[in-house]
Amino acid sequence: MAKVPRSFRLLEELEKGEKGIGDGTCSYGLADGDDILMEKWNGTIIGPGHSVHENRIYSLNIVCDASYPDQPPSITFLTRINLPCVHPTTGKVDPSKLPVLSAWKHNYTLETVLVELRRDMATPTNRKLPQPVEGTNF
Amino acid sequence: MAASALPKRIIKETQRLIADSPPGISAVPHDDNLRYFDVLISGPEGSPFEGGLFKLELFLPEEYPMSPPKVRFLTKLYHPNIDKLGRICLDILKDKWSPALQIRTVLLSVQALLSAPNPDDPLANDVAAHWKENEQDAMRVSKEWTAKYAK
Repeated sequence: MAKVPRSFRLLEELEKGEKGIGDGTCSYGLADGDDILMEKWNGTIIGPGHSVHENRIYSLNIVCDASYPDQPPSITFLTRINLPCVHPTTGKVDPSKLPVLSAWKHNYTLETVLVELRRDMATPTNRKLPQPVEGTNF
Repeated sequence: MAASALPKRIIKETQRLIADSPPGISAVPHDDNLRYFDVLISGPEGSPFEGGLFKLELFLPEEYPMSPPKVRFLTKLYHPNIDKLGRICLDILKDKWSPALQIRTVLLSVQALLSAPNPDDPLANDVAAHWKENEQDAMRVSKEWTAKYAK
């Protein structure tokens, strides 16, 4: 199979993100539309229903460095959240605590990461965790 | 391995590109990905891009030549059909692609686009508006950017 270079892979992801992915509960885009290296991205997750996260909107920073997509992106929550995979003071997602990052595969995308994070919020143990005041940031 | 898996057509196109490259154009495949090319295009004479050397990247997807190559500028330029990320609005890279076209023809078309901007089919709307409103002034900005970025 042809190996898609990082930049064309990210352009594909960008186009998909601009059109809107899935049911709209996860979205992403370039943080700076001038960034020819396409390193910094913004992500948004709408908290899953039937959980403490319902109706909450979470903003995240995503960094795709030169090793993406061979290596996973690094993810940091801007909106405060109490989740085992998220550092309680920095908001950084610990890759070892989120399978989609620890067992990263080349064909995973930014969409995969956001969808998996949202799924993580809705697990039986996580969906009832006490949460910080809505709308506060790290 | 990579080379043996590469379709004959791509090998032939690459050989010809290297042995007999069109004037003002060079395209060299990466050692570790023979479908991924570093491209240099000289700004055409008489255009506001004259004197500039523009860097691009080109990738031949798995479906090539049934699908067009993917091409983008890495050098910033002020042009109504090229956006801030270097994406190019050119019909043959989209719905007007034909497998009879080649890397060579694509790059010649991109070079020609520098001479003949088409503000009626814009990708960078602000640049296109500038072009239509005051072509002289827009070309002045293009020249400035060429001097600043396309070294």
